[in-house]
Amino acid sequence: MATRLQRLPTISPARRLAWRAGAILAALLVTTLFLAASGRDPRLLADLVVRSTVGSRFGLEDLALFMTPLMLTGAAVTITSRIGIWNIGAEGQFYAGAIGAAAIGLFLPGPAIVILPLMALAGILCGMGWILIPTLARAYAGVNEIITTLLLNFVAALLTSYLAVGPWHDRVTGALASTGRLPVQIPEFWGAVHWGFPLALAIVLALALLMARTGWGYQVTISGANDQAARYAGIPVRARIIAVMLASGGLAALAGVFELAGTVHRLQGGLANNFGYFGIVVAVLARGSCLNVLPAALLMAFILDSGIVLQTQQLTASTVLAITGLVLFLIALGDELAHYRPVAPRAEPTP
Amino acid sequence: MIALLTGMLTTAVLAGGVLALAALGEVLAERVGVTNLGVEGLMSMGAVVAIITVVATPHPWLGLLAATLTGAAGGMIFAFATVIVRANQVLCGLAVTFLGLGLSATIGHDYAGIPSPVTFGRTPIPLLSAIPIVGPAFFGQNVLVYLIYLLLPAAATQLLFHTRHGLNLRAVGENPAAADAAGIPVASIRFWYVTLGAALAGAAGGYLTLAYVPVWSEGLVAGRGWIALALVIFAGYRPFAATCSGLLFGLITALAYVGQARNWPIAPAFLNMLPYLGTMAFIIVPVVVWHRMRRIMAAPAALGVPYHRNVR
Repeated sequence: MATRLQRLPTISPARRLAWRAGAILAALLVTTLFLAASGRDPRLLADLVVRSTVGSRFGLEDLALFMTPLMLTGAAVTITSRIGIWNIGAEGQFYAGAIGAAAIGLFLPGPAIVILPLMALAGILCGMGWILIPTLARAYAGVNEIITTLLLNFVAALLTSYLAVGPWHDRVTGALASTGRLPVQIPEFWGAVHWGFPLALAIVLALALLMARTGWGYQVTISGANDQAARYAGIPVRARIIAVMLASGGLAALAGVFELAGTVHRLQGGLANNFGYFGIVVAVLARGSCLNVLPAALLMAFILDSGIVLQTQQLTASTVLAITGLVLFLIALGDELAHYRPVAPRAEPTP
Repeated sequence: MIALLTGMLTTAVLAGGVLALAALGEVLAERVGVTNLGVEGLMSMGAVVAIITVVATPHPWLGLLAATLTGAAGGMIFAFATVIVRANQVLCGLAVTFLGLGLSATIGHDYAGIPSPVTFGRTPIPLLSAIPIVGPAFFGQNVLVYLIYLLLPAAATQLLFHTRHGLNLRAVGENPAAADAAGIPVASIRFWYVTLGAALAGAAGGYLTLAYVPVWSEGLVAGRGWIALALVIFAGYRPFAATCSGLLFGLITALAYVGQARNWPIAPAFLNMLPYLGTMAFIIVPVVVWHRMRRIMAAPAALGVPYHRNVR
């Protein structure tokens, strides 16, 4: 008799972690086979990847720079997922934040100490504004937020490249498709790593505390778990949905502000670099916990960082995107497979 | 003026076909309770495989078949993960999109910019295509247009709403536990309809390069997969409504083209935003204006929820 599988409703974190490690190894194996098949030496590439990510100063700096926006977009998607909402529009809110910050940074002269907070404020407000319509549509008319938030991503990307190529384009150096360099920038404290990194870290930790240790966070969680019970218990579910979605838009926008003012220093098309979409990946990996956003963002940053190395080896950015998809897919599979365990077949009663 | 209207409507029908086909596929998947967010990636794969096939063997039907089979293969992988293993549908859908966009650009790298050697030519329907304005737009198109706007939605409507099998598959999307208790094979119905839906998404990609924009380039699909997903909601999960909303969207696209061609004093970037903003308006305005719509347009009750027999 065949072995049966039994589904465990809850599993230990160690078990899940083991399956995830297995999934990542499997993705690595497939990637290696693919690279070997296309005539590259996987061992050489692996050596290169390790040396230029965690094995060198520059690699670690890049890792931190990738992690900064991922922590914020990951947290943005995580907090909405707590209330049962999928904000797929972090990419658009990221652009909105960058646009808002660029408007201040490019056109308002002043000392950095005044301008930077203003940029952050303008960026956050723009991000909140960007998610406002999907928020109201969801809260008051029950319109599916996955689609509305997502469609605005395309609008935001178009608006950004319009501004960067059109009215805001660089008139000094004549650089194509970008604005001039911002006069102020977030100061760096370790190589290329700017203060946005520790700030993002602190924000995620504060959010983790807010969600896990306050009544507000508890109300959000209950509203997400069972909105009817929450309403019956007197929790203003609609107000919580609005607050969480606006906060999410603000967080994703802040990622855009940090990327603009800390790393890229100019507004250009493609600035968001899929960080909004990867934020969804981070959030799903984090399984709704703000604290888990940190290791999830680290993993995602490592994948992106490796991707840059692979690009120097004539592998295109699209190949890297495909590898990311593969990793994601296998982790999703592993997460669920971790719930199953084989049980010995029941002994048939002997006649 | 007549020429302008004719041209606009013709473009609308042609452009809307891509979305109508992909949306129709997604209607089938969502009716059995599975959200496939991978449409964008599947379309992208379909588009590139169609080009590669017709470059090798210049036959458009072969190209379309290859695109459809590619979509089906991707759909099977997605369905295996979400229906059999019951992994997170949002995550798997995004993974399929990343994989599809990345892989298609990788394998299509050498084909970028090469116009497809063959496309589906026009096969006008006699008499009907002579009607002014509407004739050329609806009856002077390629064969696929007739398939997409008439045959496929009619077949899907018949299947969904007028057969016992259709009742079963809607039951799977509304209440899988009850369907299971009634002896309906939930997993296999979900698996095959998700696969079929994905096959249509692949075919939509093939249509894109074989009938609409006959050249492959990276980013060719440009969010059409996501718009198709939105149209499914707007159409209230109904096949004919999905087709019509595809056409409506095609009109907005055509409007943007006309604007650019006639040098309207609006930057092209804003005209290009129209389809996305229009789609948003489509799905928000009706439910806000007519409250009754919310119930009529409701999603299948078990949409997005994996079904476990032992935890029912």
